[in-house]
Amino acid sequence: MAPRVVVVDYGMGNLTSVRHALEYLGAKVEPTDDPRRLGGARLAILPGVGSFRAAMHNLHERRFVDALRDFVGDPSRRLLGICLGMQLLCASSTEDAPTEGLGLLDVPVTRFPEDPSGRLKVPHVGFAAVRPGLGSALLPEAHGPADFYFVHSFRVDPDGCPGVVGRARHGRDFVAMVEQGNVAGTQFHPEKSQSSGLRLLARWLTDAA
Amino acid sequence: MSTRPRITFDDRGWCNACQWMEEKKTLDWSARRTELERLLERLRHTDGGFDCIVPVSGGKDGSYVSYQLKHVHGMNPLAVTVTPALVLPLGNDNLRRFIDSGYDHVQINPNPEVMRRLNTEGFVHKGFPYYGWLIAIQAGVLRLAAKLGISLVMYGEEGETEYGGSSEFKYRATVSIDYMRKVYLEDGQDTVFAASKLAASDLQFYTFPTVEELGGRELLIGRWSYFESWDPYRNYLVAKEHCGLYERPDTNVGTFTNFAQNDQALYALHTYLMYLKFGFGRATQDAGIEIRRGAMTRDQGLNLVRLYDDSFPAEHLEEYLAYYRMTLPEFDDVLARWVNRDLFELRDGRWRPTFTPR
Amino acid sequence: MKRIIFTLLYGDGAFHLSRNFRLQRIGDADWLERNYDFSRVGFAIDELVVLDVSRGVRSPEDFAATLIRTTRSCFAPVAAGGGVRSVDDARRLLRSGADKVVVNTATAEDPGLVADLARAFGAQCVVASVDAVRTEAGPVAVVDRGGREVGPLRAHLERIGSLPVGELLLTAVDRDGTGQGLDLGLLNEVPASVRCPVILSGGIGYSSHIHEGLTDPRVDAVATANLLNFVGDGLERARSETRDHGSHVAHFDADEARRLAGAAAATAGA
Repeated sequence: MAPRVVVVDYGMGNLTSVRHALEYLGAKVEPTDDPRRLGGARLAILPGVGSFRAAMHNLHERRFVDALRDFVGDPSRRLLGICLGMQLLCASSTEDAPTEGLGLLDVPVTRFPEDPSGRLKVPHVGFAAVRPGLGSALLPEAHGPADFYFVHSFRVDPDGCPGVVGRARHGRDFVAMVEQGNVAGTQFHPEKSQSSGLRLLARWLTDAA
Repeated sequence: MSTRPRITFDDRGWCNACQWMEEKKTLDWSARRTELERLLERLRHTDGGFDCIVPVSGGKDGSYVSYQLKHVHGMNPLAVTVTPALVLPLGNDNLRRFIDSGYDHVQINPNPEVMRRLNTEGFVHKGFPYYGWLIAIQAGVLRLAAKLGISLVMYGEEGETEYGGSSEFKYRATVSIDYMRKVYLEDGQDTVFAASKLAASDLQFYTFPTVEELGGRELLIGRWSYFESWDPYRNYLVAKEHCGLYERPDTNVGTFTNFAQNDQALYALHTYLMYLKFGFGRATQDAGIEIRRGAMTRDQGLNLVRLYDDSFPAEHLEEYLAYYRMTLPEFDDVLARWVNRDLFELRDGRWRPTFTPR
Repeated sequence: MKRIIFTLLYGDGAFHLSRNFRLQRIGDADWLERNYDFSRVGFAIDELVVLDVSRGVRSPEDFAATLIRTTRSCFAPVAAGGGVRSVDDARRLLRSGADKVVVNTATAEDPGLVADLARAFGAQCVVASVDAVRTEAGPVAVVDRGGREVGPLRAHLERIGSLPVGELLLTAVDRDGTGQGLDLGLLNEVPASVRCPVILSGGIGYSSHIHEGLTDPRVDAVATANLLNFVGDGLERARSETRDHGSHVAHFDADEARRLAGAAAATAGA
């Protein structure tokens, strides 16, 4: 039976690409702007492109905040946050003005520092190698590094980040992937990361709870 | 073993066109430029008269040569066109724009019915769809030069050197009438004249000037590609910028370009015959040009050859039949006469390659 | 790691080759499917750009439909643009498979739109495209497919440096479609105020040009729209040759991607 995935539609993010990748892998995808739909789901994805502040505003307005917290309260369910979606799982972000996130991961999101030499471009755009850490379910360490697509100006520092299972480098290391219990997040876009991304999503879909 | 006449290969497998390309990179072009300047210096008229003739079609090559002679070398060229059969509107427009960009020009319109007979016999007996026109742009233009007392006719490239034929004239600035007859026209004039049953009075534009006609004056048949490294794409850019050249909005049949040979519908048939005779078509020719000018690798060219070479000029077929006054079976018979059966087989009425371009 | 980007020019119902911004119609969507199997060659590129180059009246619906069809088998980022004059124009593209929107004329004539797009979709969704022509007075920026001059290139790029954009796509019109290599000299005109990644385009014929571009530290990605040079297996060859030359580009596995089709479909207890 095909796995069913709810994709949270809060008005931001390219749902089409996520849906396209998941359907390619054989999943049944339900994009929804109704938080009640999370009640009957076992797999959910929180996508996101754009501003943290605007995203949290939309999530509150559409009443997704509590619904998401309830969702992850059930260990048999799994949530994957992608790009801004991963950042939203965190405690807070300094984008625009300090804003509180969902708080499912107890770390802050901050901007890439300015590089006076001008060599470090912001936003970080392009493919970068993600080095898997110990115990990752989504990117097994044995696999070795894989290339994923990033496009972001904000990131999570791996120092002090619980559940960091994948790091990438842009000037310095940042959190590429995080897993904590039934909550996972990727700073990169697996739906835009060619074969590596498809492989990761396939693992997420089929991983036994 | 090659199907193309007069081509030779070195032990790397490079044909003489590519060897020439290599040579062109280290050739002393400044010496040739000096030779050109001396030649032009000698011929340049100070009384305002025309001092050279440039055969043009309105396309990139003749436009480029005209531009060079007039604006770079200060000559007074007379541009001459021999109107081909089945003129394409774009070709006509390009010619008009070329003339409008500021050139003295003579348009020779040989009796179309005479040209039609010669083209038809040339198609049948030599597999050259526009053989009559081919004679006229050589013989007719030279004869005009002789009559006007102009000592230099400057053609564009020397086709044999540039594209893989005889190397006889690689190091000579001019060709001879004899060479034109034997090589460019492959000695077919007499056969075609006889088959056409035309009278001498009809063939005035198809007869090379005699020694008597020249009356002791020199007539130099120059080729620009001797004096300057020939670059068709460069010619296109200059013609575009200075002579109003426009390209087709879509791709020419049998190739992947749109900016060359847009003046006559028979050109597509000419390159198709080349394909049937030798196994390489217009795409191969154009890919060779692109590879030699460094814009493409051989592998890339090969992909394009596989895609475009085998292209029957269907868009003009009805015109061809009407022009030659042939039925389709008669037309197919002529193709069958010239096709290389080691390379092609007939399937569903079309000749299909039994080889794969490699 | 740097990127190799492939650009498709679509307009008036067909895909085109551009030479110094003069267009040659090559073929329609069927032609593209026959000669560029994106389910395979999509894994030879880091990104796809699709631009609407219609010369006559644009048909946004036709372009959007073509975009959807072309990106159907694409699991890499997609940027789309051409004639974007409003947030709605951009939204239509983002709904049709694009991840980013390319704006050109607006960067010169309607910078307010750029700000609106950044506000609506995020600055990283906006790619500023600048076309440059070399003149006797120095390089200048042009818009409207080369039809209008904006002014000195450097000044235009300074303005772009102050706009909320995610990337800069810089195209050398003089090199466009010539296969003679990129115009790296144009990068001298990019001021320090442009802090976003730079994509250089115009002139790529084959892999050594790609490699040359990627080797330059000022270049983050190169793009080519040479539809003829890369037919068939051209893009795959170019990527592996570029790697052979020594460039560091991401690894993708088309075969693995194919094997993953439907891989999650039969999940016990899901």
